[in-house]
Amino acid sequence: MVDLTHLGVREAADAIKSGETSAQELVQAHLDWIYAREDKIGAFEYLDPDNVIEQTRRLDNGPCLGPLHGVPIGIKDTYDTFDMPTAYGSPLYKGNRPKADASMVALCRAAGAVIIGKTVTTEFAYWSPGKTRNPRNLDHTPGGSSSGSAAAVADNMLPVAFGSQTAASVIRPAAFCGVYGYKVTRGGFDTRGLSPLAPTMDSPGIFTRSLDDICLLRSVLVNDDPKPEPRPSESTLRVGLVRTVHWDEADAATRDIVEDSANRLADNGAVVTEPEMPGQFQYLAEIQNTIMAFEIARGFTSEYINHRDNLSQTFCEIIEIGLSTSYEDYVSAITLADRCRVEFSSVFEDIDVILAPSTVGEAPAGIDATGDPLFSRMWTLMHMPSLHLPIGSGPNGLPVGVQVMGQHHADNNLVVDGQWIWDRLV
Amino acid sequence: MGDLNELGAKKLANLIIAKKASAKEVVMDCIERIDERDPDVGVFQYFDADYALDQARALDNGPAKGALHGVPLGIKDIIDTKDMPTGNGSRIYPDRQPISDASCVALSREAGAVILGKTVTTEFAYFFPGKTKNPHNLGHTTGGSSMGSAAGAADQMFPIGFGSQTAASVTRPAAYCGTIGYKATTGDFDLQGVCGLASSYDTLGFLCRELEDISLMREVLIGDAPKAPREADTSLRIGFVRTPWWDQADQATQHVLECTAEKLAKEGAEVDELLLPHGFAELADAHKLVMSFDAARARAYEYVNHPDKLSPQFTALMEEGQRISYEEYRQAQVQSVECRGQLSELMSGYDVLLAPSAPGEAPEGHEATGDPLFSRMWTLLHVPSVTLPVDKGPLGLPIGVQVVGAVHEDSTLISDAEWIYDRLK
Repeated sequence: MVDLTHLGVREAADAIKSGETSAQELVQAHLDWIYAREDKIGAFEYLDPDNVIEQTRRLDNGPCLGPLHGVPIGIKDTYDTFDMPTAYGSPLYKGNRPKADASMVALCRAAGAVIIGKTVTTEFAYWSPGKTRNPRNLDHTPGGSSSGSAAAVADNMLPVAFGSQTAASVIRPAAFCGVYGYKVTRGGFDTRGLSPLAPTMDSPGIFTRSLDDICLLRSVLVNDDPKPEPRPSESTLRVGLVRTVHWDEADAATRDIVEDSANRLADNGAVVTEPEMPGQFQYLAEIQNTIMAFEIARGFTSEYINHRDNLSQTFCEIIEIGLSTSYEDYVSAITLADRCRVEFSSVFEDIDVILAPSTVGEAPAGIDATGDPLFSRMWTLMHMPSLHLPIGSGPNGLPVGVQVMGQHHADNNLVVDGQWIWDRLV
Repeated sequence: MGDLNELGAKKLANLIIAKKASAKEVVMDCIERIDERDPDVGVFQYFDADYALDQARALDNGPAKGALHGVPLGIKDIIDTKDMPTGNGSRIYPDRQPISDASCVALSREAGAVILGKTVTTEFAYFFPGKTKNPHNLGHTTGGSSMGSAAGAADQMFPIGFGSQTAASVTRPAAYCGTIGYKATTGDFDLQGVCGLASSYDTLGFLCRELEDISLMREVLIGDAPKAPREADTSLRIGFVRTPWWDQADQATQHVLECTAEKLAKEGAEVDELLLPHGFAELADAHKLVMSFDAARARAYEYVNHPDKLSPQFTALMEEGQRISYEEYRQAQVQSVECRGQLSELMSGYDVLLAPSAPGEAPEGHEATGDPLFSRMWTLLHVPSVTLPVDKGPLGLPIGVQVVGAVHEDSTLISDAEWIYDRLK
């Protein structure tokens, strides 16, 4: 008998639909594994087995609700859930009970998903970490901010979990934990009920162990094609290798894996070029921080004024940077980013995807910090959909991989191209 | 005293700081006006006079807090307030009490504002109307969705009402109620704690009677300094945009727009007619498509769990959105980005654009809130817009004109709108 916790989303849904297993049996298998591992990993902020079993019973006794019928999903604790507390990683909101589900949660439930629990996030999805440890090595950080979701999927506690990214909060934990991480085109998924951090960049994301599952989730969330055709073998994938100006800040193993990937893709018939970046590209990582600080300072006024004692020092610092940023500086940053976004549309005339480092290196030791977001900042600011592909391990035995970016709103194409790449690298 | 409710926010703040009036006196005059008029007009969803006075007294007894010290604000009831229920205009959430303020409310309070009460909104800021009536003629709609804030500002119950716009929800009620309406560049004002309708477009705005009050709010919310008034020797370059929907504006509206363009030219502005490129005619439909797609996601919880408490209008919007494929949505979004780029190039030849605010005067009746047509395109394009009340139509109801600026050039837009308004008043 297959281990039910090793199934992907589509596989699990198919197994339930064909009667090979039931929602209750599938979910119980996941719960058993969660109980075996949670003490060590600490992926969950909230987990109520009675609620979960009750959900599965209803699903098993009712008609098939949709493509996620009976499949367990983990929800980052920055997404509102009407039946589970949602604390946004902050002591200020301990025990907060939202009145309604976030739209992405509601859409998954409507498609039959079992909301298994709330996963650990850093404070308001910024930097101050939660309790989660890296399942590949418990002494290392899982990355943040979507720490619990990445760790849970990596450890087979769940086949899929939601995260969100404002700087690197999906790509980095996916890289550190060794799972697929997908960040949607900004604006591509509705963010109602997702605690905002910096609204012009906040983008939901999904962790899975199969790329194909991302398309299934997209069909539920935005009515996109659940099973796009694979890349035709006769068409040549055009890959733009982008080392970025921060290349030297990546460690040797990371640089090697990116270069090696580019070489192997070329060997497999891809056309690999190093496209010229927009003129102001080098400033994007820094500008991302300016915009983030300005927006956090506005969004968290109420917390900063009324409850400063309950905010972490790093969070107060970013608010203070934001408060001391002038509107003029903010608009210059926004305008520069807008211009670069337009320039990128001509970059994409000559390439299909961008290939770049995901992180500066493997997951650092310790769980007091979540690692450097550097290599995602510019792409998040460019609003591009992005994927982390886990393709090997580094000198410390921890996962490494590459990041792949595509054009706005062409997310399914990116997943299809990502699959072509992954198939040739692993 | 006794008529402080007639003054704008900036003027009130100056009086209070100079100790020529107290916050309590200001609030009392507003309360008096509300007591007299609100039973007919129906501006407030939630109003507690004693609590408003408590806030004013606390401000009078404390140090000066900021630029809004003692200024009363009406807050649209889709905007969270930690001390007043926020029902989002929906039967699903009649007594919903948020645990914190929306960021725009928190920043305003920190600058010394008195939160006077919550103003009526349509259901989730879409079409299904609330109880508010047009203060100029109680038999007519105020327009929606920011209906209470528009009517309250027009009827001098408060100097500034907060509104929000996803299609035409600031511009149209401002035009119908004969007050100033300002919709910011999309993204300029943080929306934490504001109930969303369609995240591609949702934008905060203000209903007020003085243009300087818009600058005041921008200073409080994002630290943007007001622009100096236009210098006398530079002529304002105005692009007169009839829009592809000109034929759907009634005669009176067309006449007001043409007279306005002529008058401004006589006053020294360079007025050119600007014909938008062909693709712009499709933007009203693109707007509808994206809005329904977004709304179908954003209100998924309510659609699944409380279908019986959604209006037929809202249910229809959701179902329209559910039918749209991602590919159709993608095409609309890609086209929108292209048009935004084209507009920004076109606008380098103009300081501002002049366009209709609404197809006509406020329609009779309270079952609907009028047609959002003339704002859909501008909202999609993310540009800031100010509606100025400049005339009245054959029914004796207000007609406005819309002045549109370049993205993030809101403070220039306001200063140019001052120049225009001074010449039309």
